[in-house]
Amino acid sequence: MNSKSPRFLIISCVIWLFSACAFSDCDFDTDDADSPNFVDKIIECDEQKKTTDKPALYRASGAAKYKNTTKLYGDGTKDPASGIFERPIVAPGSMNHSLNKTFAARQAYSLRPGAKFEQSVTLAIQRLYIEMAHHCAKGWSIEDQWSEPNPEQEGDYFLHYRFACAG
Amino acid sequence: MNKLMLSAAIALTMGFASQGFAAGPIDGTIYGKANISAVNAENGADDTWKLNSNASRLGVKGKTEIADGLYAIYKAEFEMFVDDGSKDRSKSKCSAVIDQTGTPTGDQVCITDSNTNTFSQRNIMAGIKGSFGTVWAGKHDSPTKLAQNKIDLFNDLEGDIKNTFEGENRVSNIVAYTSPKINGFSTTVAMIPGEGADVDGDGQDDTGLTDGISYSLSYSMDNLYIAVAGDQDVNSQDLLRIIAQYKMDALKLGVMYQQNEDNLGTKDESGFFVSAAYKLDKKTTLKAQYGSIEDDVDGDEEETMSLGADYKLAKGTKLYVFYTDNTDSSVGEADKEDTAFGLGMEHKF
Repeated sequence: MNSKSPRFLIISCVIWLFSACAFSDCDFDTDDADSPNFVDKIIECDEQKKTTDKPALYRASGAAKYKNTTKLYGDGTKDPASGIFERPIVAPGSMNHSLNKTFAARQAYSLRPGAKFEQSVTLAIQRLYIEMAHHCAKGWSIEDQWSEPNPEQEGDYFLHYRFACAG
Repeated sequence: MNKLMLSAAIALTMGFASQGFAAGPIDGTIYGKANISAVNAENGADDTWKLNSNASRLGVKGKTEIADGLYAIYKAEFEMFVDDGSKDRSKSKCSAVIDQTGTPTGDQVCITDSNTNTFSQRNIMAGIKGSFGTVWAGKHDSPTKLAQNKIDLFNDLEGDIKNTFEGENRVSNIVAYTSPKINGFSTTVAMIPGEGADVDGDGQDDTGLTDGISYSLSYSMDNLYIAVAGDQDVNSQDLLRIIAQYKMDALKLGVMYQQNEDNLGTKDESGFFVSAAYKLDKKTTLKAQYGSIEDDVDGDEEETMSLGADYKLAKGTKLYVFYTDNTDSSVGEADKEDTAFGLGMEHKF
């Protein structure tokens, strides 16, 4: 190995460090590392980082961030495909248009290798579009979308759409 | 490097990298800052413009919960040299030569730092934190230096108080305990093994665990911070320091009193330091500080005075301007005056 090898190893280590660590995104100030309570700053900032790593709505626990949004999910009957309690998917034809109203809808999907077609993300999107058409028959805009893991089954997720009826 | 070695190294790097993204072998964050300034320095004989790196740094820090409420913590910080890419090979540190009775001979011995590394170690530590406090060890700022709590408003610049006051030490082989904060009080006690060096100057090798000791006791509540800190046989000094800091609206005041003497009795200093920062508006901060310390053994006196202003461009980014005058007055000699005027930029990430 020639003299360039140590340099290569150093560069490799630096790449590894960068890949393994997230850049600081909390209120930790660089000079805090030299402050008397630097240990607390390491702990607190890391806690804060874990919290802020979550999606925006998840972090703000839904209602807190989008408090004027009407939730269209939960408290329904058990979906035989997903095994999750959901409100029934609205039937095409029974349409409304709620001007100036914002909704949040979700559908379950699975990424497990043995998942059925009924549990695919394609069908989840289809169901969400039917739901959006029901509540906003004259059109809508999707303002946000995100996925959350289903805590009851590893590999399963909920796809959320936040949408508003066209004005 | 042959192709096989290169492939292996890349594969190893990629392996680590993918592992890092997937789960993360290190539960941590990268941080740092680039702090560069163009400085006109004048010492009476020379008038020089230079670009300074001002302790620009790159660090990684983090914690891993190893049991309920028990954390392994670490921090590794490295100085990087934004100005010329490596540590200055011509930097020399000179000390006065003394005879066996402790009398200065008038000669000096200078050690040239030939470290030309791209990175230089700053604070490197690891420890365990729980409800009992934190036990940590490494190469780190002493509790006395930490207790200063940035009342030095021109830290890392020409006006840094380390150019005037003793006690701003980054110590190797430090083993420390920091208590939890209870009713605003917190303490840190550190032991520094001599590892065979003669740290107290008695002519004997020091091999114990507590050859050097550094400690601090602080109280902070709302806008007030008070600390008492001290060293014993740290960098050949015994030292006591009292610090107070108070914030009121746009004004932040700092004051420090210090007394220190070296192990050989050739120095017995006492002095004070004051600083003030005033936020004119959301972007502009005016700063001023003054310090003076006098040696009772030979009557020598050192003074530092700095004025400056910061202009905040964004969170973590600022422009600054400063003027510093460091004066060293020795009895029977002409005053040695170093002045510096500089413009700089600091970006933290």
